[in-house]
Parts: sequence; structure tokens; C-alpha cells
Amino acid sequence: MKIRWNPIVKKDLQVTARSMRLSWGLFAYEAVLVMAFLLALAVIQAENDSYYSSGNIYSSLIYLFPVLAVAQVCIVALITPIITASSISGEKERQTFDIMLTTCMSPMAIVFGKVVSAVIRILFFVAAGMPIMALSFVVGGLEWSSLIYFVLTIILLSVLSGSIGIFCSAFCRRSISAVVLSFAFYFVLYILTFVPTILKLLWSDGDTVGEAPLFLLVNPGVFFEEFFMQLMTGESAFGAETGSNFSPGSVGYVTYQLAHGKVWMFLSAACILVLAFWFMIAAAWKVDPMNTASAASKAGKKRKGHGGQGQETT
Amino acid sequence: MLYINNLTKKYGSFTAVDHLSLHIPEGDLFGFVGPNGAGKTTTIRIVCGLLKASGGSVRIGSINAPMGSREMKRLIGYVPDFFGVYDNLKVHEYMDFYGSMYGMRSRDIAKLTDDLLELVNLSDKKEFYVDTLSRGMKQRLCVARALLHNPKLLILDEPSSGLDPRARVEMKELLKNLHSMGKTIVISSHILSELSEMCTSIGIMNHGQLVMAGRIEDIMQQVAGGRRIRIQAASGIETAVRLLMEQAGVVVESVMENEIIITNNGTDEQTSALIGQLIQNQVVLTGFYREAGSLESLFMQLTGGGVQ
Repeated sequence: MKIRWNPIVKKDLQVTARSMRLSWGLFAYEAVLVMAFLLALAVIQAENDSYYSSGNIYSSLIYLFPVLAVAQVCIVALITPIITASSISGEKERQTFDIMLTTCMSPMAIVFGKVVSAVIRILFFVAAGMPIMALSFVVGGLEWSSLIYFVLTIILLSVLSGSIGIFCSAFCRRSISAVVLSFAFYFVLYILTFVPTILKLLWSDGDTVGEAPLFLLVNPGVFFEEFFMQLMTGESAFGAETGSNFSPGSVGYVTYQLAHGKVWMFLSAACILVLAFWFMIAAAWKVDPMNTASAASKAGKKRKGHGGQGQETT
Repeated sequence: MLYINNLTKKYGSFTAVDHLSLHIPEGDLFGFVGPNGAGKTTTIRIVCGLLKASGGSVRIGSINAPMGSREMKRLIGYVPDFFGVYDNLKVHEYMDFYGSMYGMRSRDIAKLTDDLLELVNLSDKKEFYVDTLSRGMKQRLCVARALLHNPKLLILDEPSSGLDPRARVEMKELLKNLHSMGKTIVISSHILSELSEMCTSIGIMNHGQLVMAGRIEDIMQQVAGGRRIRIQAASGIETAVRLLMEQAGVVVESVMENEIIITNNGTDEQTSALIGQLIQNQVVLTGFYREAGSLESLFMQLTGGGVQ
């Protein structure tokens, strides 16, 4: 059976591959990774040169992997909304979106194609960062499976970031507004999900956070932290955060069971995926002219403003 | 081919399209005219599935699918008034992209692309980047793109806007060509003379309502311009003027050396009798013909002067 490509994925990749922006983006990405690598190496060397050091630098070089991984995740988290937030609003600005909607592609297929093309573009960056990541393997201590898990994590995070970007792109007319709105959603997911835990901590005079950390299941930052703690130490991040008091008493019973049983990471991944699909479905609903009478009409009216060559909607 | 029944579109209290009913037969080249805000583009966007109607229905041929459904979209080729193109995409890739969006196979698209580019006279631009084409070429490419899935109905919204005179002529010829091939075409345009030259029928909209629709020659007969008569005579102009002024229902508009223009409100029999009377009174007639009414005059008459 021949696999049919989503035409939007093919077109987006074709257009992106020919653009100089991709080359410059990859160059900047590599440069940041190299800088992160050299900086981490310098810090490790400086620590090993100290009086208290055993002088065995090799055992410390294993920490290059998380440093580079965190650097990659941060860059991916920053560039994904920039790539995706302009994908639908950019089509609207370019006045190609109306034609797209008159074809047989469903709004969901359009949105899905846009997310997939964004994830593939992110994978270009991840692939480009592989040679630098591979330097952490030179010193040993890491398995190839770690790298595969890392790539899967990046894919998961880029699906979420991409869906947020597409959602904002569907709701905003201008790409710049979509980027700003995407980062507002980032703020909600990465920062505001901590608020229930902090409030609970204050409420209970620091005794317990109860089940409030369950809000953190959708926090990609916490997911990534848990992933690395499990990968590097085999322990849950909750144990590290709460110190020796990590018990059903310090957190709620459900939180304890999820974190202690290593289920947290998988449940968090599932929650993040569900959230990503919700954003995609909402974006598809928004761009479907049959669902939102205002969307296409506003787009049509707006066309008059562009270039002055259009005609009013009515 | 296209049946629009009681189509209504409201934006709050404002009614953009007011219970519009229209039937466009198969093979027609239908011109949609009306002043700004008349509801033409709104109607077109509803038919193309880009806007949800507040009421009414649209049917194409025997297909009675909901508006905006995949079945309906497959029957329509849409060329918007203004559209953008992608950077870094070649003409044949542009066609391949849209063909794929209709679920066509790349092999079929490639073959059709060659034929359609030939039709729109862009064969030599196949390997060019779309954004390097002129506005006229882009417009023709968009027509080729709209024909890719062999739609039953081709809808063009202001296809000549922003085009230079040469590109307009090329576009007009292309549409005439498509019409001769049996395509049903709906075109909205501001250039009324152009519409009157190529359309087989027209619909005039004003304030969201269809003021008049029908075969172009039938419509022309109904307007005031259709009753203007130009009488040319080698001699006896004074006699002719005197006779004409005595006739009931005849208004002499202007008298020149060898020509008189009148407005005749009488019947065809009365007009025939008038010719006989002029000949009997030794007026040497060299011409007697009814002036064709212009679409502009009709448009001005029906829309109260709101010409665009």
C-alpha cells in the first residue's frame, strides 16, 4: 500500500527546504549548542581542577548529555511557536488560506498537516544537533536507548508546542499576535500550573502539597525534569524536590503513587498528548467556515485592506 | 446547474444577502454585477463553502449535499479576486500541491498540468517560480489550478481586477474559450462592458437582493435603451421630424443633419406603421434601427446610479 503524504506537509517542507531561513536557523542552533557544550566542558574542568576534586574528569563528563539536552529542549520550545504560530495566520496574510479551504482537505487535515510539518522541521534541528549530542557518548555511561527516549521526548514537546502555535495561529489574524499568544499559553503551562502547589504549600504551612502537583501533569517542564531524573538517577524528580520527606505525607497519596511507581512520566506524556490534540481540534473548529461564520467573513473583509486590490465581502 | 434557493446571510442586524433565489443553467457564462456592498462576493463565498449562510440552500446539478461539504467542493473551481502565492514553489509544484488537496494522484496531476498550462498559455513557465510571474500570469495560473479537478462550475470573483488591458483581454479570451468548451462559469466583475461582451446571462444585485436576472439579450430588450430608435435619412429630415412629433408615444431626443434619435414607447406594430408613414411622406430612409441598450445604462437604472 502506498502511503499518501499530507499535501500540506510536502508543500511546507518543499518551501522550507529552499528557504535560506532554515540554513541560518540551523547555523544559529548549532552555534548555541556548541557554546553550551564548551561552557559545560569548561565548568566540569574547573570543578575537577579544584583542591577537593579527585581529578577524574571522565566520570563528570556524563553531565554533558543533560546540559546539551536541556539546551536543545529550550531552543525547541522557543522556536516551535515561532514556526507554527505563523502557519495559518501566515496563510491568511498571504491570502492562500481561502483557496485551501475550498479544496477537499478537511480543516482537521489542514491543521494536522501543519503540526506534522512543524514537528518534522523540529526534527531537522534535532538531527543537526546529533553530532554534538554524540560527544557525550564518547565518554561512555549512556546508552543509545537514552538518545532514542530523548528524541521521543522532543517529538512530544514539539507536538504540544506546535499544537499551541497552530491554535493561536487559527485565532489570530497576524502572525506576531499568534507568537505572543503562544508564549502566553507557555506561561500558563510552564508557570501557572505550579500555582496550586505553591498555594497548597502556603496553606498547609509547608507540611504537604497534597494532590496539587497533579496539575503539573500537563507541565512540559516537569515532564522533562522527571524524564531526566529517571534517566540519569532512576529516581523521581519529586524525591529530589521534596528531599527525604518524599512520602505519601509530603505529597498526596495519588501523587506519591504516580511518582514513586514511575507512572508519572507516562501519565504526563498522555496528558500532554491529549492537550495537544485538544488544541488541534479547537484550531480545526476555528478555521472551519461552516463552524465559525465570522472567521471566513472577517478574512474576506480583511482582504480589502491588503494591497487594495480586493473587493469588499458584501 | 447552480440552484440557489432563498439564500440569506445576516451579520447581526445587517442583511448582506436577502432571500436570494437564482438558477444558472448548465453551460451558461453568468455575470454577477452590483454596486459595492450588494452581496455578490458574500453569495460567491457561501456557494464556495467559505462562509456559512444564515438560511437557504445551494444545489449544484443533482448533488444535494450540505454547503461546504466535500461533495460540493469537488464540483466547484474557485478563483478569488485577490490571492497570494508561495515563495519557493514552482508552477508545476503549485499545481501538484492543489491537485493533491483534491486527492488526485501525482501522475494524473502532472498530465493535467501540461494540458491546463497549455490552455492558459503558460506552458513555457512550468519550471518558473510562481512568485516571479506577472499578475496576469498568476491569474491565469489560478484559473488552471481551479480547473485541475475538472469542476462542473467555475466561479471567478473579479478576475480582471488589477490586470493591465492586455492581461484583461487574455483573461476574457480564456473565459470565452472555457465557455465554448461547455464549462458553466459564474463571474463577478466591475467591468460591465466586458461582461456584456462575453456573458450569456447576468444577474444584477443591489442591497443583498437580486434585482434582475436572465439572458442578456432579454434584459437588454427591457431597458429604456432598447426603445431608442435611430432614424437616418438622405432627405426629408424636416418632414420626418414633423411627423414624428405628431405621433403619440414618440419623443424626439435629437436631430442632426441626416439623423434623428427618438424614444418610442409604442408597440412593434406602431413602430412598423411609423416606418410606412415616413416612406409615404417622401422621407428617403437610409437607416432605421433600434439602439442596443448598454449594460451600464441598465445597471445605473436598476441600482440608482451606484456604479462602481
